Amino acid sequence: MENYIKKFTQKMNIALSKLPVIEIAKALNLLEAVYEQDGKIYVFGNGGSLALATHWVSDFNKTVFSHHLDKSVRRFQAIRLPTTEEELTAWANDIGYDMVFLGPLQNYLQDNDIIIAISSSGNSLNVIKAVRFAKKHKVQIIGLSGFDGGALNKLADAKIHIQTEKGEYSVVESVHATILHLMTQYFKDYFDHLLKRK
Amino acid sequence: MIVVRAPLRISFVGGGTDLPDFYQRSPGRVISTTVDKYVYVVINRTPLIPYISARYSISETVKKPALLEHTRIKAALLDLGIKKGIEIASFASLPAKTGLGSSSSFSVALLKGLSAFLGKKLDSAEAAELACRLELTLLGEPIGKQDQYAAAFGGLNIIDFQSDNSVVVKPLLLDYRKKLEFENHLLVFFTGLTRDASSVLKEQKVNIQKKIKVLKKMANSVEEFTKYLFAGKIIMLGKLLHEAWLYKKSLASTISNSVINELYMGGIKAGAWGGKILGAGGGGCLLFITPLEKKQSIRKALKKKAQSLKLLEFREIPIRFVQSGAEILFNADLKNNGKLY
Repeated sequence: MENYIKKFTQKMNIALSKLPVIEIAKALNLLEAVYEQDGKIYVFGNGGSLALATHWVSDFNKTVFSHHLDKSVRRFQAIRLPTTEEELTAWANDIGYDMVFLGPLQNYLQDNDIIIAISSSGNSLNVIKAVRFAKKHKVQIIGLSGFDGGALNKLADAKIHIQTEKGEYSVVESVHATILHLMTQYFKDYFDHLLKRK
Repeated sequence: MIVVRAPLRISFVGGGTDLPDFYQRSPGRVISTTVDKYVYVVINRTPLIPYISARYSISETVKKPALLEHTRIKAALLDLGIKKGIEIASFASLPAKTGLGSSSSFSVALLKGLSAFLGKKLDSAEAAELACRLELTLLGEPIGKQDQYAAAFGGLNIIDFQSDNSVVVKPLLLDYRKKLEFENHLLVFFTGLTRDASSVLKEQKVNIQKKIKVLKKMANSVEEFTKYLFAGKIIMLGKLLHEAWLYKKSLASTISNSVINELYMGGIKAGAWGGKILGAGGGGCLLFITPLEKKQSIRKALKKKAQSLKLLEFREIPIRFVQSGAEILFNADLKNNGKLY
């Protein structure tokens, strides 16, 4: 049992040691820019990645400002896609599963928004379809991928690729969660610092 | 209607090496950041009004683009083949000719907006390239390329100008603490003097052959500046800026003048580590890097100096760095010839 646990943590350590630091920094800059231009952040993925997206949205919209909710009038506007299960099933059932992200994104996306796409393989068809749509409209893309990065890593502006063997979902998703938490923490510290400075 | 916004910039070192006459001989390089002062361009489609309107410091309404007085709007409309049925207005947080790159910010915002008007979205590099084409190629202005790229990309960047005319923008990934710390040591003052960049740059252009060595040093100092920036050695940044200012002054006789020199020396005497004039020179804004505890006394000393020099429009310009480049903030342009459905 001990060995099994150690082996898993070893894989995590290796993935964390190869973290794409520069690309994460670029993503932080993109998020700062979208805040300044009052744009929205659309975030999506399948299965566990959708759970990460949902968790991150609540943190980013509220936790970043939790120490001064009353003082910060302008906040981040992160939105998980699709916004409701009804929308998800309607697109999937009526048109096809490949439309569950692109369908809603087409309704919402504006020029000053950005998207965060999460896909361990980087090749989920429904994710890539939405990413290509954003690319066509010159909207910036933060891509969180794993394995060999897939199409998502090629299309993304901030290429957050966690290099692992194919199929290492647990490692990739755990590291993705870490990076998403880092993003929240960075802006929480940033806004706390700004307020203290004044 | 389409609303586009582009930020102004402050440049630290390397200015002048973005002129084609230099970078076609030796690689040019600058370091600059965008700040929270903006130029806005608003574009309105008027299918029922067969004219072209341009509203800026004056208002023009003409039957075809060739009749416009505003050189950049005229050239852009002619180039893009937009003939009538459009209103273009501009707004800004600061007056023109302050040395913060506002005229190129305007071009970037204009081209981003007009392209969207034609149904084509531009990324940062495309917007910067089109703005350079408008200003340098179509209008033949004797200016460089740093402002267009700074405005289009946004943020704190090193911008490289290569002899094949290509431009590479490298963002400096400083965390918020370092960025805010640096920002906090800066003071920007509008001298109250305005100037046309072209007049200064014309002289500089003639001198380039003679000044190639100085310009090479200026391009090289970007690397040193970056090193101190990451190390948080702000005092060294101030000293480099002072050195860069002395180099810059030697490029053309019109870059500085007695008023600017007096204000600059006033700031240094009151405790600033270094500074420079922002933009081409001859007027515009002064930038200082200062110890935190000297900021107040520098403000006082310069205010007094400006009063004695009768600079009525002299004032401090508070700035914050911004990350966002030129961006379409709002686009409700009615497609299909003005029909919503």
